[in-house]
Amino acid sequence: MKRLLKIAALGVGLVALLAIGGIYGASAYYTSQLGKGCANCHEMGEYFSVVHGAPHRNVGCMDCHEASLGTKLRHIRVHLFGRMPEAIRLRDVDVLEMVPNCQKCHQQEYAKWHAGPHSATYSQIFTNPAQNSRQHLMEDCLRCHGMHFDGSVRELVQPQNTQGPWHLLRKGLADQPTIPCQACHQVHREGPLEVRPQRRFSVAGQPVHDSLAYFDRRERIHFAATALTLPTLHDGARLVTISQDPRAAICYQCHAPRQPEAGTLAAANGWGPQVGSGDDRTAMGVHEGLSCFSCHNGHNQNARASCKTCHPQMSHCGIDVEKMDTTFASAKSPHNIHWVKCTDCHQHGIPKKKTAAPVKAQLVQTPGRSG
Amino acid sequence: MKRVNAVVVGAGAAGGIVAKELSTAGLSVVLLERGKWYTSNDCRKDDLRNQRTTLLGNAFGPEDEGNPRVWVDAKSVLHTAWPSEGDYQNDAACVGGGTLSYGAQAWRYMPQDFRMRSTYGAPAGSSLEDWPISYDDLEPFYEKSEYEIGISGDYSGTPFHGPRRRDLPMPPLPPGREFGILEPAAKRLGLHPFHIPMARNSVPYNGRGPCMRCRWCVGFACEVDAKNGSQNTVIPIALNTGNCELRTECMVKEILTDDRGRARGVSYFDSRGHLQEQLSDLVVVSGCATETARLLLNSKSKLFPQGLGNRFDQVGRNLQGHHYTGAIGYFDIETYDDVGPGATIAISDYNHGTPGLCGGGMLANEFIRLPIHSVDRLPTNTPRWGPGHKQAMRDWHRRTIVIMGPTQQIPTAEGRVTVDPTVRDKWRLPVVRISGNVHPDTFEIGAVQARRAEAWLKEAGAVSTTLMAGKPQVVSAGQHQAGTCRMGDDPKGSVVNRHCQIHDVDNVFVIDSSVHVTNGGFNPALTIMAIAYFASEALVRNWKGTGFRS
Amino acid sequence: MGGVAVAIGCTAHKRGNWDFLGDDEARTLGAICDQIVPADDFPSATQAGVLTYIDRQLVRHYRRHQDVYREGLVQAHAMSMKRFGQELAALSRQQQFEVVSAMEGEESRFFEMVRRHTLEGYYGSPRHGGNRDAVSWRMLGLAEPPLLGRAQYDLRKGSGE
Repeated sequence: MKRLLKIAALGVGLVALLAIGGIYGASAYYTSQLGKGCANCHEMGEYFSVVHGAPHRNVGCMDCHEASLGTKLRHIRVHLFGRMPEAIRLRDVDVLEMVPNCQKCHQQEYAKWHAGPHSATYSQIFTNPAQNSRQHLMEDCLRCHGMHFDGSVRELVQPQNTQGPWHLLRKGLADQPTIPCQACHQVHREGPLEVRPQRRFSVAGQPVHDSLAYFDRRERIHFAATALTLPTLHDGARLVTISQDPRAAICYQCHAPRQPEAGTLAAANGWGPQVGSGDDRTAMGVHEGLSCFSCHNGHNQNARASCKTCHPQMSHCGIDVEKMDTTFASAKSPHNIHWVKCTDCHQHGIPKKKTAAPVKAQLVQTPGRSG
Repeated sequence: MKRVNAVVVGAGAAGGIVAKELSTAGLSVVLLERGKWYTSNDCRKDDLRNQRTTLLGNAFGPEDEGNPRVWVDAKSVLHTAWPSEGDYQNDAACVGGGTLSYGAQAWRYMPQDFRMRSTYGAPAGSSLEDWPISYDDLEPFYEKSEYEIGISGDYSGTPFHGPRRRDLPMPPLPPGREFGILEPAAKRLGLHPFHIPMARNSVPYNGRGPCMRCRWCVGFACEVDAKNGSQNTVIPIALNTGNCELRTECMVKEILTDDRGRARGVSYFDSRGHLQEQLSDLVVVSGCATETARLLLNSKSKLFPQGLGNRFDQVGRNLQGHHYTGAIGYFDIETYDDVGPGATIAISDYNHGTPGLCGGGMLANEFIRLPIHSVDRLPTNTPRWGPGHKQAMRDWHRRTIVIMGPTQQIPTAEGRVTVDPTVRDKWRLPVVRISGNVHPDTFEIGAVQARRAEAWLKEAGAVSTTLMAGKPQVVSAGQHQAGTCRMGDDPKGSVVNRHCQIHDVDNVFVIDSSVHVTNGGFNPALTIMAIAYFASEALVRNWKGTGFRS
Repeated sequence: MGGVAVAIGCTAHKRGNWDFLGDDEARTLGAICDQIVPADDFPSATQAGVLTYIDRQLVRHYRRHQDVYREGLVQAHAMSMKRFGQELAALSRQQQFEVVSAMEGEESRFFEMVRRHTLEGYYGSPRHGGNRDAVSWRMLGLAEPPLLGRAQYDLRKGSGE
């Protein structure tokens, strides 16, 4: 009996020693040589090699990713006994924990993003009575709000009806952003380096930073901005001119038009998707052809200060462009800055001497500076 | 476990409706489903792993592990098939059943479809029969299905369908490019094209929004919940009554009977694999044609040594689905518009009335295709690989139209489901064995239908065409499977009566496609739903009258 | 000590780039895949990640095909050595074409399988490692991800029943 106890004690001690050694040893191992330790497990190798061909090559794994005790134990368990997933990917908590790590270096971008609408939290988006009583919650909400969320919408918010009151099932998400940095930026590229395509396949033409990429919830991978599609839009039967700025392709993923609805004039006539349908806010009317980024800052979407880059402070009509009514929230408003037309104000015809206003001269893009 | 009024086995198209009808009538119901309650997030529009393209497995069940089946080919050789293989003849196993991921065509059968034997006579060697109920009996329940489930479309272009009291509740979705190409061609041929009825919201309906016209439709769960199945219509209503409990991942082992020959409930394996008993006043089996037959055949007892309802060896016979044939047309203009659901236009000119042919089928354009579907649907002279194949993909993926349709199968008694004497599934239950074939006349009709599809495509301007008219080695059942527990007035030639009650056992009901005597020339979902409403109404009426309590 | 646990783990897995394939096998298989989908204005099968696709599935859904691949790759290598005295990946495109055509001519189950799996990887969903950047879909002119806007409606205003 005594012997048995001794063996048991020895066994427990050994396990404890292994565990402690393992944990601290693993920490040291993980952080060694900017995370080369992580890469020694072949599962992680391809991710290491990819990031170390990227602008963040001098940043270690642990500078961006947390590796708590639980995470380490999970890694070891999966490595030893687990069924490897087809591709290693970040869980929603991993993505959210990265946000403050991005902030450490990108303070200004973070501050702008935080001040803007794209930092809206899970509770703001998913427990909003005005929204939830108007439309049913559905999986597709997560495509643009909470694209990293691991689960279905019914695992996020209950009840799934239009009566409410609604509450989040994972309380920890309440103050977390639905559109974190990783929604529009990628740091890694998925896949082993040696089969990386030799060139970018851009359908849009102009080069932009690789890091500017849309996280597609469906595939759970990023698509580089240059690989994304710009829409073809119509105003009635007329084809609308759209800026070919590839950065805007990311905006269009969520601010997207719809096919004409049943019963509309556009559907009856077989016209294509209409400008301004769905969540589309493509500039038309006097601003037709402008990119989203002509007016909006990529991180905070603020456009207030942008008018005077093109317009004199006081317009020809004597309206202060900084203070004029530029209602954007209502698609129906005639003042909506996205599609205000000359004729909306000049209902008896446009004065001749003002038709040649020098607006077009300012259309030059600087797409190299991604937002 | 608390005894309830009714156990419903299977939460698919029919089971969901039965659960809703019984629970709203005040009966206590346990709804057992062997699969899970999935959402679109569980599939995430995977081109290689969904419920139609199952190269990497079924998205909505059953999983390959532990769920084999056996099928017998034309030379009587036995094969084992896994659920993701075509020969398995799978129907989804999940809450909603096939209606979670179906294409959602929601057809009414025609009046003649219920009177096939009277209309055509039974070909030698077939088991063609009339239904004991008529289109007129079912019409109010078709209407109820159309309004409760939510159907869009427009039958007004066709004169061939039976009378109806109300129009569909929603207009059709705006037509796509293929509609614009095919409609004038059909009219030039003197045909009557119209908008396919679909269980899909074209406008907000039942508290859910309209279709977003995406590329991933048939085989996928809808992310905007615009596709209407039992999982987002009737099952939530049933659960909200407080009278219905849904238990998922529960595999029913057998229907339990007492020594007087009446059912007293079911035994099932729960999600942890423990055997449970749920006692009830009545049992409704809604497991789809193959699995319903298997459950009845596996429910053997002293009084029912051949299985429940099988006194005259009728359970499992007359298995049928649809014999799909058609044609692929290649065009010199772009036909593809990347707007779902793609299938928009149909004709039912050829369902009946062709001299010398015993029935026919509807023809429609195919659902929106994914690139993987084009890989083997290129013009016949295309190289199977190499630069020529890659170029052909670029040339033809956007310039193809597929027209096909479900040719009505002429059933035979030998096309059937039995249980395999040796192969067992992960619960150690004998598995389905599928054998026999449809009547050879079916292939003849199918070939004619394929040539008709080809003619339509050529009229629409196809520069070349390929016929699709195979002859499967075994009866084709799949997602349209039906017929294994035939409805009839004669107990010797059928399994259930006109109200879906098993002849032998008055408190066991089979309510699903198993009871279809013939399967029409249309996708069967709406008929399954209409029969579920029809049978539920009779069940509730009888419950309130004499009752089934033992 | 920490290294011990990790080291044990490493023995449990095969080291290298692949889950199933050996590096030699990957080279041979890659040459066959690139015959099936060669590069032109758009990438070849391997450039689009088809090897990753096949390799991942051979330890997952296609586990049952492992033997066919193992034996098939040995035969492909042998055929290449016999005809041209070099491994398949080292041959010219024309020589590779001859070897692969000969495999097809023999109605090899292995070749048919590789053909199918290559096309799946190339034209299937990018998440499985092939069709990188959804490049084949864009080759066909398909927007990926597609642009899909939200429906604007208000249930409180009596739309729907």
